[in-house]
Amino acid sequence: MLLAKVALGCAGALALAGAYTFHEGIVSVQEVHANGRPVHVWLPAAVVPMALHMVPAHYVEHAASQVSPWLPTIRALTKALEKYPDAELVDVRDSNQHVRARTQHGKLLIDVDSPDENVHVACPLATIEDVSRQLTALAPAA
Amino acid sequence: MTPHARRVIQSAILGSTALLAIGACSRLVQAAGSQAASASSTQSSASASHDRWLHVRVTNPNSNDETVRVNVPLELAEKVLPTINKDRLHNGHVKFDEIDCHGIDIHALLEAARTSADGEFVTVQSKDSDVRVAKRNGYFFVNVSEKNHPKKSQVEVKVPMKVVDALLSSGKDELDLVAGLHALSLQGDTELVSVKDADNTVRVWLDSKNISD
Repeated sequence: MLLAKVALGCAGALALAGAYTFHEGIVSVQEVHANGRPVHVWLPAAVVPMALHMVPAHYVEHAASQVSPWLPTIRALTKALEKYPDAELVDVRDSNQHVRARTQHGKLLIDVDSPDENVHVACPLATIEDVSRQLTALAPAA
Repeated sequence: MTPHARRVIQSAILGSTALLAIGACSRLVQAAGSQAASASSTQSSASASHDRWLHVRVTNPNSNDETVRVNVPLELAEKVLPTINKDRLHNGHVKFDEIDCHGIDIHALLEAARTSADGEFVTVQSKDSDVRVAKRNGYFFVNVSEKNHPKKSQVEVKVPMKVVDALLSSGKDELDLVAGLHALSLQGDTELVSVKDADNTVRVWLDSKNISD
């Protein structure tokens, strides 16, 4: 009986942790070079803002200072894009390359297909906004 | 049945009930999520119907696989533009000076066009090209057609005068892009720019659809 209770507790905790971890969706980055090893990164979006707290402060501050001129633009863009959860924003195609930027189900998707490399990035808009908010707090005052 | 077997069966029943409960809960959460998503999608499509979209499309008539499609909600552009401070663009205003305009006072020129009555202001006809600048029914028109160019081209620009007013509403040497976009968002569906030559067709237009045909 005790074992069943422990198992139930573990299963419940696991289910709750899973639900929380995946509630914001998935961040996915895929990069495939013509002559190189493919890179596939796939992680729960909720982990990204939490992971920023674990990165040594000086790295995050450096990144924040680098990106700080564009943080207001990124925040305004993501906030405005949340109103357009499914929109085709940019589609550029020629005989060799195809670049697309769009939103789908509240995610920003960027796809680049070319003979040299294929890059596919998918990130929830809410995650971009969270990260940009954290970086704004850490960026040096102008 | 031995007490041990009973305990095993009880644990199994308890475990499976718990799993069923978790499954049911997750389905409920999913259903709530999808309801919220459909509500938000309904809301977004409702709001999208009121949104104004600026579309840019570049196509190559000789090759169907070369296209550029850009679709921008004007509201988004209005919110994002003031945050960009780079080179001559500051707080949604773009600065220009005499050097950019080869000594022509663009502000005075547009102001003169704005305050004058409807009519054709400039007509240049040469063996190479025709240029027409006119104001008619609240629109400012610029038409350029190249005749003897090896690749004939036709450029048509049509800007609502209210947008011109809004662009000129800030200082002398700058254009207020945000005000211009806001004025544009109050206009009906309209084609703003059309360029046709042998290589490319460019269209810039405004409507309420979030996709370009």
